[in-house]
Amino acid sequence: MSGRFAASGRVAIAGYAQTPIERHAGQTLGALAVDTARRAIADAGLEVADVDGFVGSSLLPTAGGHAAEDGVSIVSPNWLAQHLGANPRYAVGFTGIGQLPGSVALAVNAVASGAAEVVLVHRALHNPPSRYHGNPMTAAAGQQQWTAPQGYFSPLAMIALPYNEYLQRYGARRDDMAAVVVEARKNGARIPWSYWHDQPLTTEDYLAAPTLFDPVCRYDCDIPVDGVATFVFTTAERARHLPHRPVHVAGYAMSALSRHRLPLHWPLDDIVDGGAELARRLWSHAGIGPADVDLPQVYDGFSPFVWLWLEVLGFCPPGEAHRFVADGGIDSDRPGALPALSGGGALGNGRMHGVPQMLECYLQLSGRAGERQRDAHVGVACHSSPHHGGAVVYTRDPA
Amino acid sequence: MSTGRPPPRPDERSAPYWAAAARHELTVARCSRCGATTLPPDLTCPHCGSTDPAFTFVATTGQGTVRSWTVVRTSFLPGFDDDLPFVLVDVELDEHPHIRLIGRLLDGVDAPLRAGAGVEVAFEDLEPDVSVPAFRLVP
Ligand SMILES: [Zn+2]
Repeated sequence: MSGRFAASGRVAIAGYAQTPIERHAGQTLGALAVDTARRAIADAGLEVADVDGFVGSSLLPTAGGHAAEDGVSIVSPNWLAQHLGANPRYAVGFTGIGQLPGSVALAVNAVASGAAEVVLVHRALHNPPSRYHGNPMTAAAGQQQWTAPQGYFSPLAMIALPYNEYLQRYGARRDDMAAVVVEARKNGARIPWSYWHDQPLTTEDYLAAPTLFDPVCRYDCDIPVDGVATFVFTTAERARHLPHRPVHVAGYAMSALSRHRLPLHWPLDDIVDGGAELARRLWSHAGIGPADVDLPQVYDGFSPFVWLWLEVLGFCPPGEAHRFVADGGIDSDRPGALPALSGGGALGNGRMHGVPQMLECYLQLSGRAGERQRDAHVGVACHSSPHHGGAVVYTRDPA
Repeated sequence: MSTGRPPPRPDERSAPYWAAAARHELTVARCSRCGATTLPPDLTCPHCGSTDPAFTFVATTGQGTVRSWTVVRTSFLPGFDDDLPFVLVDVELDEHPHIRLIGRLLDGVDAPLRAGAGVEVAFEDLEPDVSVPAFRLVP
């Protein structure tokens, strides 16, 4: 059985809209989502009545025990469809990890199968007003009984362990990570809608930041924000007749935790082995390989993911990403380099959960990146961890 | 005696583990069907897939090897502020190398720590009859 996606190149993005990325928006999340959805549909040259599919993920990514209230702190596909006054044939939520590639996969499958012809994919992120990860628990029940009593808690602790394992194994240093974060912030500073617009970070500032969970400092973590992004998917055939140049989906792959571990325990080998399997399936599904990619957009919600994605996708050898990046390997201003964070990523935009990666692929491949426009043909948008996330291959041409 | 830290709340599957911990014994769950060991005890056996693994909890030596660590300098949970900064170690159990546990390293943040260092289990008493596994470096 071939791993090639039967619908490769047959589904395309026809338009998009995104809010500014802010610490706290002036509108409730649901109202922002409705406005953004209307703008995306108009951007694609369509009307609400044309949209017969809604897909999104509603995860509120905080360890703080904040309540998830539809329309306020999350926005579900059904909530959005109802408040737009749409009457979809297909409205589903993606509940796994790798929320954006997972949602894209559902949307693409729906369009390819005919379950819907025009699908709106949205992601609405909310920054709760109180301490993001602070949790007043008085006892550790369920899964947390295995980790919270000893103080292992929050995604910062989660990433600190495999990050330090990488440093020890490959002789890398925390200082090497400055090149990752400075690159993300350099690119983010050039993006008008970014929370970090006009705010690049210097290596000195990075190195001066105190660590929180060694070797992780605050600049290694994307900043929580309010923001909504929406994308309109339809058939490549229909997209050809719409105002903007379509961007095609060549294939995708999702990964899932394969080894039984303590909750939020991600040993380095689990990430690398799961990532290798994801990469094998991704290239097979899309019918291309890493050498064909000129616009990799790796996930960087925590900076170590940049090294890990670069390695598992084959853009540099295992254990070499720290040198590859420090030597300018992903410098978006250097001819011949791989601009892996040209869209600013999460570190350069805010906690938009895979949106910056997907949006950069869309803008560059549709020719809508303005003064940031590059000559790119094949993009990869990654989200979350290589062993617990996903990636989508986008192409400018249909096949 | 109470540290203010969130104590584990044992459930039907984990109660024997925590009862052993209260006696300062580190145990792992063994599947009654295939004999393989695991932690935490899941609803099914991760090795043979049995939906009725009937786990028994068997003693370990508590010896392990440090694979990674982090120094915790801020806490999002109650009860840890007076202990900051502290070290959490990611430990592979020597007798069960597919099992990795995370616990506090009780030697302090200045202890000489490296990947591959040997540790042994120690216990922190949070409340009467509630103890949580931690680790100490072995010389
Ligand atoms: Zn078994």
